[in-house]
Amino acid sequence: MSTAMNFGTKSFRPRAPDKGSFPLDHFGECKSFKENFMTCLRENRFDNSRCRLQSKEYLECRMDNQLMAKEPLDKLGFKDLMDPPPGRQDQDSDAQV
Amino acid sequence: MLLPPSLHCRRACPLLAGCVRTLYSGRPRALRPLTELLLRRRPPSRLDARFRSRKSQEEEWRNRNRTVLTYIAAAGVGMIGLSYASVPLYRLYCQATGLGGTAVAGHNADQVETMKPVRERVIKVTFNADTHASIQWNFRPQQTEIYVVPGETALAFYRAKNPTDKPIIGISTYNVVPFDAGQYFNKIQCFCFEEQRLNPREEVDMPVFFYIDPEFDDDPRMARVDTITLSYTFFEAKEGQQLPLPGYSHN
Repeated sequence: MSTAMNFGTKSFRPRAPDKGSFPLDHFGECKSFKENFMTCLRENRFDNSRCRLQSKEYLECRMDNQLMAKEPLDKLGFKDLMDPPPGRQDQDSDAQV
Repeated sequence: MLLPPSLHCRRACPLLAGCVRTLYSGRPRALRPLTELLLRRRPPSRLDARFRSRKSQEEEWRNRNRTVLTYIAAAGVGMIGLSYASVPLYRLYCQATGLGGTAVAGHNADQVETMKPVRERVIKVTFNADTHASIQWNFRPQQTEIYVVPGETALAFYRAKNPTDKPIIGISTYNVVPFDAGQYFNKIQCFCFEEQRLNPREEVDMPVFFYIDPEFDDDPRMARVDTITLSYTFFEAKEGQQLPLPGYSHN
């Protein structure tokens, strides 16, 4: 569709991903985490908001097995799922999703 | 402004004088200069030869030709320069106005940390997987759809299997429909645009980690958009082939 000569219409421009490409998991090291995540999705009618914990665990597995660059999880949007620092635990525990 | 038919003006800018005279051709005063102009363009008659020598007339013609040639050459050079300058100018224009589908000034990669999910707006993201005819992988999404909200990161999986006995290297690109929503669809990490090698009989899971920009909810053009489709297509890559990253994405 992007090769059609429609000068008036907008075309899609693919953008490179922010953090590049995931290396392939050839040995299936994080397969169990992925299965957890898929099961959670199927149970929750594919609602992503309910399965964020499992996706966080999958990404942590990838980071532990050198399949992803290590990054603090709040940079990946998991700030609300991370353990709050000690001393503020009673304030944040009911603010969790 | 009627130019007096002085000799000085006529020699210096014959074209301009002729133009001004033709402009005022409706008035009786300018009829005489117009006829003079018309008379001058005719080949020299016996009458003219009496008042002007042939040499000065040729000189006048030569001057006029040179002036016209200078104007035409300047216009030609100007056009060529404009066609070279149009590429960066157009790019600037597209970035400023956001037309042509280009991302407006790129998006901020740090906003992932600070963005807040917009809970009221649930969007269904459907997944599609395609392969080019020449690649023999089996490539499919592991979930047909997923419900996300803007501002929240989401994970999705595709699966690829190489059923042949030879390792095959694939490279993929993606597409987001509707096109306008594509600028809000940000991928943090995926498996596209880089060569992925699958060994014989190997099957892998390929994740896509993405989010939809929270500004999606503020855009009036996106008010009716409830479904976004992400479509990946795999092509076969030859050994050592280097494909450039798409677009002007120098962010």
